Amino acid sequence: MPLLINREVVEDSWTLIDEENLQQTGDIIVPLALYNEHKAQFEAHSGQVGIKINGDDNLDEVLENLDKFPLVAVDFPAFRDGRGFSIARHLVRAGYKGEIRATGDVGRDRFAYMERCGFTAIQISDEEFTPDMLNAFTEMSNYYQSAADNIRAVYKQ
Amino acid sequence: MYQYNEVDQKLVDERVEQFRDQTRRFLAGELSEDDFLALRLMNGLYVQRHAPMLRVAGPYNMYNSAQFRKLAHIARTYDKGYAHFTTRTNLQFNWPKLEEVPDILAELATVQMHSIQTSGNCIRNTTTDQFAGVIAEEVEDSRPYCEIIRQWSSLHPEFAYLPRKFKIAISAAPDDRAATQVHDIGLHIIKNEAGEVGFEVIVGGGLGRTPMIGKQINPFLAKEDLLSYLEAIIRVYNMNGRRDNKYKARIKILVQAMGIDKFREEVEAEWAHIRDTDLKLPQEEIDRVKAFFKPFDYDESAAQDNSLEAKLAEDEAFNTWYERNTVAHKVDGYRIAYVSLKPYLKPAGDITADQLDLVADLADRYSFGEIRATHNQNLVLADVKKADLYAVWQVLAEAGLARPNMGTITDMTVCPGGDFCALANARTIGVADQINEKFESLDYLHDLGELKLNMSGCMNACSHHHVGHIGILGVDKKGEEWYQITLGGDDGSDAALGKVIGRAVASDQVANTLEKVVEVYVEKRLEGERFIDTFHRIGMAPFKEYVYAPAN
Repeated sequence: MPLLINREVVEDSWTLIDEENLQQTGDIIVPLALYNEHKAQFEAHSGQVGIKINGDDNLDEVLENLDKFPLVAVDFPAFRDGRGFSIARHLVRAGYKGEIRATGDVGRDRFAYMERCGFTAIQISDEEFTPDMLNAFTEMSNYYQSAADNIRAVYKQ
Repeated sequence: MYQYNEVDQKLVDERVEQFRDQTRRFLAGELSEDDFLALRLMNGLYVQRHAPMLRVAGPYNMYNSAQFRKLAHIARTYDKGYAHFTTRTNLQFNWPKLEEVPDILAELATVQMHSIQTSGNCIRNTTTDQFAGVIAEEVEDSRPYCEIIRQWSSLHPEFAYLPRKFKIAISAAPDDRAATQVHDIGLHIIKNEAGEVGFEVIVGGGLGRTPMIGKQINPFLAKEDLLSYLEAIIRVYNMNGRRDNKYKARIKILVQAMGIDKFREEVEAEWAHIRDTDLKLPQEEIDRVKAFFKPFDYDESAAQDNSLEAKLAEDEAFNTWYERNTVAHKVDGYRIAYVSLKPYLKPAGDITADQLDLVADLADRYSFGEIRATHNQNLVLADVKKADLYAVWQVLAEAGLARPNMGTITDMTVCPGGDFCALANARTIGVADQINEKFESLDYLHDLGELKLNMSGCMNACSHHHVGHIGILGVDKKGEEWYQITLGGDDGSDAALGKVIGRAVASDQVANTLEKVVEVYVEKRLEGERFIDTFHRIGMAPFKEYVYAPAN
């Protein structure tokens, strides 16, 4: 699956884990529930371990343990579920410096918003990806409000 | 009125091109119906029973004459020669072609207009008092704050996919003309004991299937904290509002489920994090925006006019219009004049292209080029010299825009209903005609006085039937249209939800039933008492008894 970082397609070294591939080696992304279920195993994992969360997970639990994870994937279970945008802002505000990756039903027309909310990586399905998607980041050149992207509110520019 | 600078103009222009590309991709099959749905809704584009419907934003009720002329042009060129004002003071085109919508948006952008966030699950157009800035009773003009909120909320990256739509209204006067207590957030501009001006914040009001009056979350919010507090409320809502059922997704349901105290706690905790960030509004920014809403250069000699008195004495029809359709202005010698969009036997809120042009001309000639829309679907010329009222009235009367029925039972707020809307359970237009016929007599109408009637064609309540003094809700019973009547609703300062009088009535009995309701009022009222006050004094029982009394 194509991965966008800094508005470019990059190599993805991470593998998403589910019940079927618990023994996967290398860098892995584990859904929070699965992580909690097999905590000892993942804590002993030889590669890097990232966590995947969505709006139904307990965000406070994640925020308290951020230093454990070099990557947090925020899942968009449906196009209209906008909780991920706020989750990203919570992560940024908590001082998280690892990768914040958008997964699931991301949608080209939300890339710019994702970036502004603090996502540093966006994962797109093979079927959905087209090279012209990269234009989505530059359709709007200015904004009224500041968000996680350090653009100051328009009245402070 | 606010004027775009380069940043505003560029943002709107780029948004047009962005939507043009989204439409192109949809028509080319690159964007699914469902994904396009969310995108087009955020740009005010619905697909209705007969055709798409495009909703254009009228930011906090304000329009100017150039915009009206552009809207007239669009109505002629891309639509069927008319348009419709909504209860959110926006304007709808009911017959545009999907593929032409990007061109319409490009035309709108040339007069500083857009359709951004007029629909969809995002922050909608902020509405306010149609008399903001021109009445003596207000604490402060609310429009600069509306504009500040418009900018902050436009294309907000975090709040474009909320659980459900989100509406904010601001009022600054003792009489609430913006229905703030039935909004997701209602802001009341108030002065505290120290003489500082700030906001009382109300949250969790709303109509629709589960009508609720909002609750106070903050008794006094300083101006500088306006945006950080709004952001805190909406972030808590975005994270916690229900997403499993769209009928339970509004903030009112969350506030009710958590309880206002717990909800306040969550908001305050979030607010503590962001209060001192650059969301803090600098006084210079407030002053910058305020400068766009400075009072006009009113003519001091206007107060010396005595031609009005003479005209009122000699022309009874003019006098009737003056009494019913004009309101006191804060400047001596001026008056606020309504333009009625409630003509006899025509849909409420509709306006033709020619009428749009005509109102634009009147605004240019007599009212500093500005026009306001009201949440009851009428228009207002806010700054007319008393000496000019007769001329204004003559033009309006000629154009069918001077029906002297403001605030009366035939000044109904009515949604398009089953004739146009795919969601409706019942038609509304025929019933509105029936009511118009029954209450045609002006003497009767004026004797009944202030009586707010709101009729919705389904429980989505677009016409706010819960808060009409008399509310009518169209329902479907086994394929037949029936109408449920409520009494005692109010969207003003004493906001209340109407109560159902009894079993629903058949479509041909609505006007007859209303007649019985007002007969009870006329019989029981005290000298000078409004319908709603009589209702509060005597309660539902006498109405119910009389309306449902067995026929002899």
